[in-house]
Amino acid sequence: MKRNTIIMAIAAMLTIGLVIASCVSTKVTDKSGSQLWSENCQRCHNTPPASAFTNTQWEVINTHMRQRAMLTETEYKKITEFMQAGD
Amino acid sequence: MKKKNFIPLITLLLFSIGTTAQEYNQELIDSLITAKAQTLVARNSKFLISGYTNMTGKFSKDESSFSNIGLVPILLWKPHEKILVEAELELGLEGKETALELGYADVSYFLNKYLTVRTGKFISPYGIFQDRLHPSWINKLPTFPVGTGEDELGVGPTSEIGIDFRGGIPLGSSKMNYSIYLANGAQLITDPAEPGKQGTLSYGNAEAISKKLTAGGRIGLLPFSNSSLELGFSYRNGNVGDKNSIYKNIGAVMYAYDLTYVKQLDFLKGVIDVKGQWNKVNIDKADYVDPDDPTGNTTYTYDNKRSSVFAQGAYRPSMATSKFLKRTELVFRYAGFNPPDGAKDLEKVKQYTYGINYWFTWRTAVKLAYQNQKDNNAFFVQFAVGF
Repeated sequence: MKRNTIIMAIAAMLTIGLVIASCVSTKVTDKSGSQLWSENCQRCHNTPPASAFTNTQWEVINTHMRQRAMLTETEYKKITEFMQAGD
Repeated sequence: MKKKNFIPLITLLLFSIGTTAQEYNQELIDSLITAKAQTLVARNSKFLISGYTNMTGKFSKDESSFSNIGLVPILLWKPHEKILVEAELELGLEGKETALELGYADVSYFLNKYLTVRTGKFISPYGIFQDRLHPSWINKLPTFPVGTGEDELGVGPTSEIGIDFRGGIPLGSSKMNYSIYLANGAQLITDPAEPGKQGTLSYGNAEAISKKLTAGGRIGLLPFSNSSLELGFSYRNGNVGDKNSIYKNIGAVMYAYDLTYVKQLDFLKGVIDVKGQWNKVNIDKADYVDPDDPTGNTTYTYDNKRSSVFAQGAYRPSMATSKFLKRTELVFRYAGFNPPDGAKDLEKVKQYTYGINYWFTWRTAVKLAYQNQKDNNAFFVQFAVGF
């Protein structure tokens, strides 16, 4: 019972934090390709330079990452366009 | 006279119409051929071989060897705008023999902006280590934390065969991601010949071992607008006993919490990378043949609840002026395993691993590490390359 209360309290705090964070900061959908590239890639591995792959390869790699990192379609498109522009 | 003038004019007109028609047809044919060729070239060129390779050396009081040589090609193919085919092969050496395993092989269909459906064999979306961090060019240490592998100390699934629904959803400045799947059940190992493995589970079975499918999933929340923090919760529940045996009603519930925090901090002049995961597996009580009884007539049972944890911190001075320092990374990881009370041949494990990495490129590193573990202290060196 006590354990459940603690879990519920943590969940409530997380929800409140989420709501506050949602109100005051930049919307995910408004972010640029470079910002999304920097934020999403480095959560798991070092950020790759645009020269690492060709434009077509970026399309395939980022489709793979869209599925693996659970990116939205908008994030996938913006990151791909950013990497292709820098190639 | 007029007639005479008209005849060549009409002839010229007819000829020019014929020529234009011929040119038009030729242009049409050419454009169709070009379009078809372009489609074929584009389709074929959306194939890519990626992956990684590594060589690891282990040096301890009792053993010094270069082992764990692996080559893991990942085949990626995008045959259509909404379809991705991917497969990972794991090639390694076991003694003198070359071992080949199918890491994953699945097809994904991008149904809409926020939902992807994938089916086949895929890495279990349980926690973060197996799903995201296990490749040697990503893993910051040459070893896996205890409890995350496929050995008898593994706590939680590594791979699934089934169907998975996943995606990311923006929530204003925050984000969430989800993965919900139905998969073949894990298999409870009951063989007394492997006492340490008795009561553990094997995953990624292509056969229908248990009566029903297993359901599971993970939900991740990224509360900060810069996506630096992610908190995840995973759950998996299903039958694990062989449907043709006395274990057919045995089930297993497992859950995990995970945390990721990665951020470049100006006052530290570098990137801080914190990762952690806590796993718990509860398997229903079952009677196992006692491996200590040679007649095989005695059984024993125990409360089959096991857990594991790892917490890892890394620092890379990416804003340093020295090129050498910029490429250097310090890592520390604690990992622990708690066996079920009364299980045969299983002991509590605590691992402390200290590492230093040098990154030649964004996906090529040499890693040096010292792992402190009871009766198993060892020094490791690993060369890892992503491609």
